Amino acid sequence: MNSISKIHKYIKIWWLMSKNSFISIFYQKVALLIFLTGKVLRFSFFAMFLIFLVKGSKTLAGYNLNQSVFFFLTFNLIDIFTQFLYREVYRFRPLIISGDFDLVLIKPMSALFRSLMGGADVIDLITIPPLIAAVFYFGHSLSPTPQNVFLYIILLLNGFLIATAFHIAVLALGIITLEIDHTIMIYRDLVSLGRLPIDIYKEPLKSILTYLVPVGIMITLPAKALIGLVSFQGVLLSFIFGAVAFFVAKKFWDFALTRYTSASS
Amino acid sequence: MKKYWQIFKISFQQEFVYRVNFIMWRIRNVLQIFLVFFLWDTIFSDSSKVIFGYDRAKILTYVFGLIIVRAVVLSSRSIDIAGEVSRGDLSNYLLKPFSYFKYWFTRDISSKTLNLIFATFETFILYILLKPPFFFQNDPTYIILFIISLFLAVLLFFLILFLFNLFPLWYPEQAWGPTFLLLIFTEFLGGGTFPLDILPTFLQKIIYMTPFPYLLFMPIQIYLGKIDVRASTVSVLTTFVWALFFAFIVKNVWKLGLKAYRSEGR
Repeated sequence: MNSISKIHKYIKIWWLMSKNSFISIFYQKVALLIFLTGKVLRFSFFAMFLIFLVKGSKTLAGYNLNQSVFFFLTFNLIDIFTQFLYREVYRFRPLIISGDFDLVLIKPMSALFRSLMGGADVIDLITIPPLIAAVFYFGHSLSPTPQNVFLYIILLLNGFLIATAFHIAVLALGIITLEIDHTIMIYRDLVSLGRLPIDIYKEPLKSILTYLVPVGIMITLPAKALIGLVSFQGVLLSFIFGAVAFFVAKKFWDFALTRYTSASS
Repeated sequence: MKKYWQIFKISFQQEFVYRVNFIMWRIRNVLQIFLVFFLWDTIFSDSSKVIFGYDRAKILTYVFGLIIVRAVVLSSRSIDIAGEVSRGDLSNYLLKPFSYFKYWFTRDISSKTLNLIFATFETFILYILLKPPFFFQNDPTYIILFIISLFLAVLLFFLILFLFNLFPLWYPEQAWGPTFLLLIFTEFLGGGTFPLDILPTFLQKIIYMTPFPYLLFMPIQIYLGKIDVRASTVSVLTTFVWALFFAFIVKNVWKLGLKAYRSEGR
């Protein structure tokens, strides 16, 4: 099978799995409404807090109100998009505990693809269009050059790549240790530290958030690129980091598969 | 009383069965504090600055106070009630010779005790690491009012959480949703992310009409002496009235809910 038809096959599978996932969520309309309301409220409350805070203090680590809001929106874009695509990671543990992961392994498709993208979240999907509109609105207010916009988009894609690497690593760790729920929540707590520019943190936390848990590269750097505050070396290093993170995560997944015991099956 | 003491002890020991869960939960609490701490630390980098009526010492004490107050007020086991109701496990408890309400309150107290021990330890470590200026309240009136407001906040949060966890009595498939919503309100309208007095006055007035500010924000305000003794007393009394109101609502909703409960899953 050549690459094009392989991609076509996986898009078709993803659409089928996502459709099933969407139908099951739409079936529970009350839950859909509650969770959607909760997510919108959480976003609105924090945005409101940020706006009043920066208005009161005039500046946040040297950034004005629109710039601070743009950092927050970029965080949400990466966070919500990864949650939309990789929601299945949150449901992976029962498969490992029960041994039902065997049924995934015997299917003629990538087990990683199934475990990562097997159930897209429609609630997050609903929130993506207004979020993109807000990113566009606030981004436009910062008067970026076309070059800055281009850098923002490719660094955003790099941020998704790093987020993907993290999700793969969490799955792999889950196979080995049977622990998923807390690992993914700790990952999300760490990423949440990127809701605001990492310039607010002091050393050594700032370095940890730049190099060890690269929240800075994932979220702060793309937003800085749009404002025009990144160097060519910085961009290049972040791509190398993204590629290495993805490669290491994939190797870790391959290794974890060799440790799968199929217990309880 | 003796049987609830036994429940307390068993529940306390159960927390140690899932040690990783507990440690991860505590790590998450510390991580959440980092964002708030460094955010305010940056804004108050000039120590003489006073914004929203806070100086550097008071705002960082607010952040550190949150660790302790959250551990006391928000840590709870009764968050599991909805799941039990959804699975039909509530039936097991209804047959036993104790009050379901007191059973969960005892378990909550057990969880709070353990969390308070850890939170005190974490606060101490973070205090050494971050070396923030700290505001020590030395007026006994404020300290007494703070302690009373904390006790009432514990009771109030338990009642609200209990109420939201009764939702599956009618809709067994909706175990987590209402609690998720409640926790978002508690976090933001309760002052868990930011002190509410940075908001415009008209918004503050609306928020003060809800029970949420009395869970985290008001106890810390009392400790910091940001409101005078009279206003602190009014705040304590308001918390008490809210607790009475929710006790009444919970009692009646529980009665109605038991009639609707179908023990699905059993």
